This record gives sequence, structure tokens and C-alpha cells, in this order.
Amino acid sequence: MPITINGSGTVTGITAGGLPDAIITQPELAAGVAGTGPAFSASRSATQSVTSNTITKVQLVDEQFDTNNAFDNATNYRFTTTVAGYYQFSYAVKGVATGGTLQAVNSQLYKNGSEVIGGFVTGSFLYQTVVSEANSTGSILVYLNGSTDYVELYGKVIGTSPSFGSAFLTGFLARAA
Amino acid sequence: MMTLFDKVMALYPELQQQDFMTVITLQNDSDGNGDYIAKWEHPTLARPTEEQLNGR
Repeated sequence: MPITINGSGTVTGITAGGLPDAIITQPELAAGVAGTGPAFSASRSATQSVTSNTITKVQLVDEQFDTNNAFDNATNYRFTTTVAGYYQFSYAVKGVATGGTLQAVNSQLYKNGSEVIGGFVTGSFLYQTVVSEANSTGSILVYLNGSTDYVELYGKVIGTSPSFGSAFLTGFLARAA
Repeated sequence: MMTLFDKVMALYPELQQQDFMTVITLQNDSDGNGDYIAKWEHPTLARPTEEQLNGR
């Protein structure tokens, strides 16, 4: 029976116990209402050796949480969501080089194998002083189609015997499609 | 053992650090396939061939 309200304000169609549970999808949420969209936090704390001057995918092997089991921390180290929408990502890469030879470290989010923003390198900087490690951080809002789109974290270190000392990538659905 | 970066620099010693931030991208997808040239858009230097790189 549908729920109706007549001209006198009488409501019919509601059974004892109140309104039945409703399934509200992300697109049906009113403006200003936060849903329970996907959210994850992935990281690595073990050293990952890399080649100097070579943009390298960070192997995020650890997970703090992954509400929709959408992050692959074993094979491809990528986030592939089944919920279309706009996702807010935050990330950081610690670049390490031996003997104070660190020249630069950067971090970039890749979508479907390409830079999210082409030609723009986030968090890259050059040191004039003797440094062995430094962090590169970034954040970005990205649209994902909920089927084929995926994101991965890449970083680059310039220096002698470079490595990623640690890194993290977190993300959550900020707005449904 | 020379890295891909080492080989490229040996082939083109005139390359600058800035080139690797703009027109050249060396990449590794952490998939076991190693480093490769993902982008080569240098205005004057031709993309190295495998033969040239393997000869280093």
C-alpha cells in the first residue's frame, strides 16, 4: 500500500512499527548528506628500492581499512571502485638516497595508467643542501566511473641508491556521480 | 649493472635533469618487467632504440 497524505493531513499506508527500511542509493541522497561510500587507507613501511630518475609504482602492501574491498594490496596495488563518483585522494611518498645525495622526490597519482593531470608533477622539489630523505605529498579529487577506472600511486627519487622509505594512499567517495 | 637511466645518459650525456622532468619519462610499473621509456618527446634527440641501449 502506498503512503498517502490526504487534504486533511491524515496519513495512510504506514503499518505499526513505523516506516519500513528503505534502500537509499548514493544518487538519491539529498544535498549535504554524507553516505557510506567506499573508503580505504593503504600504505607501506618497508623500503622499496627504485631506480633513480624513474617514475615507479609504489607497492602499497599494507591496508589500514578498505570498506568495499576495492584496493588490491597484493598484485597491482591499485584502487578500483564499483561506485561511480568523485573521490578525494591524499598521498605521500618518502624518498631516500644514501650519503646526502637526495636531489628530488615526487609523487603522482595515476589514473588508468596515466598521470591524473598530465605534465603536472606534484610534490617535487630540489634540495640545495645535503639531504638523505624527504617527503612528497599531494591530494586530488578524481572522477571514477565505478567499473573500469582505477588509480595507483607513483613516485620518483633522484639520488644515489634511491628508495621509497614509506608511503601511503587514502581515498574516499566525496560525491556520487 | 647499468640502469636504464645510466644507459640513456651514457648515450646522450648532454641530457639535463630538467629533461627528465619534462620531455622524458622513465617508468617502472612494479610488475617485474623493469624500467622502460614511457615518454620521449625530446625536441632534438631521437628516442634510443633497444639496440643502442643494449649496446651500453
